[in-house]
Amino acid sequence: MPFFPEYEIKKQVMDLHMGDKVHYCYQCGRCDDVCPVTKLVGADRYSPRSLVMLGLLGLTHVLLVDTPKNQFALWGCQTCDLCDEICPNDIVLTDIFNILKNASIKQQLAPEAYQQQAKMVMETGYSVPLQDAIARRRDKMELPELPKADLTEIQKILKITNFDKKIGYEAPKEEN
Amino acid sequence: MTTNEEFLVFPGCMIGNRLPYLEKSARLVFEKLGLKPKESSFSCCPDPIGIQGSDHTTWLSLGARNLSLAEAENKNIVSLCNGCTQTLTVVNHELKHSEQKRNKINKILKEVGKEFKGTIDVSHFLTYLLHEVGVDAIKKKVVKPLTGLKVACHTGCHYMRPTEIMGVEENHESPQNLRKVVTATGATVVDWDEEHLCCGYAIERADPDVSYARLKGKLDSAIKGGADIIVAICPTCFSHMDNNQRNLTKKYETEYKTPVLYLTEILALAMGFSSDEIGLKNHRSKGDLKERFGGE
Ligand code: SF4
Ligand code: SF4
Repeated sequence: MPFFPEYEIKKQVMDLHMGDKVHYCYQCGRCDDVCPVTKLVGADRYSPRSLVMLGLLGLTHVLLVDTPKNQFALWGCQTCDLCDEICPNDIVLTDIFNILKNASIKQQLAPEAYQQQAKMVMETGYSVPLQDAIARRRDKMELPELPKADLTEIQKILKITNFDKKIGYEAPKEEN
Repeated sequence: MTTNEEFLVFPGCMIGNRLPYLEKSARLVFEKLGLKPKESSFSCCPDPIGIQGSDHTTWLSLGARNLSLAEAENKNIVSLCNGCTQTLTVVNHELKHSEQKRNKINKILKEVGKEFKGTIDVSHFLTYLLHEVGVDAIKKKVVKPLTGLKVACHTGCHYMRPTEIMGVEENHESPQNLRKVVTATGATVVDWDEEHLCCGYAIERADPDVSYARLKGKLDSAIKGGADIIVAICPTCFSHMDNNQRNLTKKYETEYKTPVLYLTEILALAMGFSSDEIGLKNHRSKGDLKERFGGE
């Protein structure tokens, strides 16, 4: 099967503030060595070194295909930033992962819970909105009401950033 | 204390909207220490994992909006959550250091009448305690020293990494800040191999089994270190470790029941507040909390 680099993603990776450094990822694998997830599942299932390579070369089409294996290969990162600390070339790997994840969520390839969280922020301004039961518990504990975020303002910002399109959001249908 | 006496507290969605009993203990501790934090109409920080992973520009914009609220009041932000601390610190850093990004985000904020200026600082309450309150001042408020209690300190990744940006002056493989504050309560801090590692929360959404395997590593290490309890400074780590021990018990057929306390809970207990006052009964992994601290 012929394949071509995804130039847009490759460019984003190279454009990172440490773009010049990314060049020098010499695939030493120290990120894999220190990664607690790689330790648990093996580099076949999760490997930060491979993610950097795929991003760097723009060969993300192998990753951005809908399979459970691919999903974990990208979203299996616990963002503990240990790899960022150990990389001898000061590459901030997690920044590269975010570019890949942004592309993944756009194609609806992320674990469902991430899509849900993004929708929650769109609809309420919070990842974890206040439920009635918790509001009652707050009252019982004599906790004052917390100031509410201005949802109109937040939704205006999200409109400008095209967040809805980026996460494949469908507005709840109005009933009438 | 001067400039920092009046800070804006950033509780984060987890504490305010899911774990209000943690907020209760925080408010009691603030009062005891003579701190008068104010609140503001912050939104989600937003989450450094999920929302940054969804769209970087949106993450920067909402983070910058929160920062601009604090800038307008000329107050620093002190957060009770590692995730919020990391988001707000990194957004602050990214926008302060890149004119291009700052211009891009300010163009967006302008549409809602806001602007990011880069004039305030963000810290976690743990850092605030150490640098602005001081260990001695904490010790003075301890009336029920937790003598004999063996504590495994879980600082959590997002408090200290990436070290270059978070700037908490910690050796991220051997963090000391939390140890200093826990020691002030009279408790004994234990050594454990996995102190600097992740609790596993962040991969629960991708594969719960891997997430629980990570958590198991963490707990086994704390137990091996001789810990009676774990103390966390992040509501999400707290919740992951407190909630999921019953899953580990099922999955691994070994009983896991190590209590987890949040930073301001252990402080509140040492400062003489009762288990009932801070709602300790809401914990899932109770272990011997009741025998130790009484209450319902
Ligand atoms: S540690 Fe750095 S240089 Fe080495 S493989 Fe990983 S990203 Fe590349
Ligand atoms: S940030 Fe992700 S890839 Fe890096 S060490 Fe942690 S889990 Fe592994």
